[in-house]
Amino acid sequence: MPKIRSIFGYMWAGAAIIVVFATFLASDFFSRALVASSGVKISPWYSGGEVVQTLDHGSYRTHVHRPVFDALIGEKDEGFIQVNWEPLAGLPSVIEESFDYSGDGKADFSVRVDTKTGEASLAPINPMVVSIRKTAKLDDGWMIRVQLSRTIKKDR
Amino acid sequence: MKTDTHQVPQGEGKGRTIVLTLVMAVITVVMFSQGKMPQDPKEMIALVLTLLFANTLFFLLLYTGRTDRYRAIYFSTFAVSLIISFVSHMFEARGSMSLSETKILQCEVPFCHLVIPMTLVPMAITKTIIFPGSLLGKYASIASMFVIWIGATLALGRGFCSWVCFYGGLDDGFSRVLKRPVIRNINPKWIYLPFAVLLLVALTAAVYLSPVYCSWLCPFKAVTEFQAVTSTKILIQTIIFVGLFIGLVIVLPILTKKRTQCAFLCPFGAMQSLTNKINVFDVRIDKEKCVKCKRCIQVCPTLSMSEESLEQGCARITCMKCGKCIDNCPKGAISYHIKGTDIPGKRNAYRLLFLFAAFLFLAIFSSHIIQDGIVRVLKLITTGSMIS
Repeated sequence: MPKIRSIFGYMWAGAAIIVVFATFLASDFFSRALVASSGVKISPWYSGGEVVQTLDHGSYRTHVHRPVFDALIGEKDEGFIQVNWEPLAGLPSVIEESFDYSGDGKADFSVRVDTKTGEASLAPINPMVVSIRKTAKLDDGWMIRVQLSRTIKKDR
Repeated sequence: MKTDTHQVPQGEGKGRTIVLTLVMAVITVVMFSQGKMPQDPKEMIALVLTLLFANTLFFLLLYTGRTDRYRAIYFSTFAVSLIISFVSHMFEARGSMSLSETKILQCEVPFCHLVIPMTLVPMAITKTIIFPGSLLGKYASIASMFVIWIGATLALGRGFCSWVCFYGGLDDGFSRVLKRPVIRNINPKWIYLPFAVLLLVALTAAVYLSPVYCSWLCPFKAVTEFQAVTSTKILIQTIIFVGLFIGLVIVLPILTKKRTQCAFLCPFGAMQSLTNKINVFDVRIDKEKCVKCKRCIQVCPTLSMSEESLEQGCARITCMKCGKCIDNCPKGAISYHIKGTDIPGKRNAYRLLFLFAAFLFLAIFSSHIIQDGIVRVLKLITTGSMIS
């Protein structure tokens, strides 16, 4: 028995050297396989969530992401919705657009973004729409994150 | 009275060392160059210097039988090269070390292994990575770092912290500045702090779906990248990480001669202590040879040797396999060991197998970073600037 354990030990140690080579020689393969087999994605709190609607305005496009309320288990009360406009070269100096993220046929909010100064304003229509959480110029466009809340306060 | 300190550690014979170094030389030439010789003279010089550096150290590791001394030189060079290379890249790409909000929103933040402990629970439950990086392809992608981590864990276990981590060489290097420690008495219970930090950051990251350690504690942001100070919150975070860097990575390692960041804070290290179980190499003490001089307890940079260790014949789970205790044991009672084999057994064979795996990992993983570091320094000398 000790001899078998010893043989397994040496085999395992030899395998460790093979693992080192495999780690580097097949790094790209393992990376792709890891992503494909696990099905992981970047958290929507960073990526903005999946794009659910793209509106073509000719010189530029609007990408509307899904509302993000994701929690570790279930959903949070507070979330956001992200909208991107691209490409940068095709954007008008002022973007004004209304959005219906709830899918009830009525606009939930409208935003106005000045692409020269970065000033943005929000007109909430749905009481779940709270405020502008973030506006940013990206490498090839602009984005806005609008804060959403499922707890509707009386004073709102 | 003549002591027998000179008899350990024992290196390989000259012929055997030369043959093994030639094997390593062939492997490193292929792996470092990736089968093609660089056209740019600076890159060629960097490749040759890196190859000479790696193979000289490997020769010395084998010939002298001393592990820690030559490992530390390589390991610290890796850390310094990373700073030179990474910061130069950041200045080329962004014009500064600060991370803009745009890069975060576009998910273009380079990923590092220290984030891994925080990503595991959310990844298991939500199938998402709570980090604004890219999964594949770009510089330091998330998947590539996971592959490195899995490979290093299988091959080296917690040896990751002394042979692979591109930050560890900093406090390792600073811990060697003074000949004797100024602060000697450190409560060994501090070694449990990283486990508490690990639990705390893993839970808070899961609850907030945010890499809390990166935002609030990681000292290495001071030498890589950090968020631009645009709010009071970010200012507080900046003060914390700069303070931790100065305290845990520079000042305390110098004063204590211990790797204080790695031993007393790092949650990734704590996780590696747990995953180390699946690794075949460990450090064992031959109780028959041990004279309980406690030299190993004094020199261990992570407080992983204790009187209980000497009684039990093995290092604590926090052992990073740096080899310092092995080099310093006057009786040669401590050695690398392969699980399942005899103690002391064939200690040179155990060491050789461990060194091949560990040194190869360090050499291959660091090669492009060290080469880029050398190219940047050559650029600085010839053009006055490290960036293109």
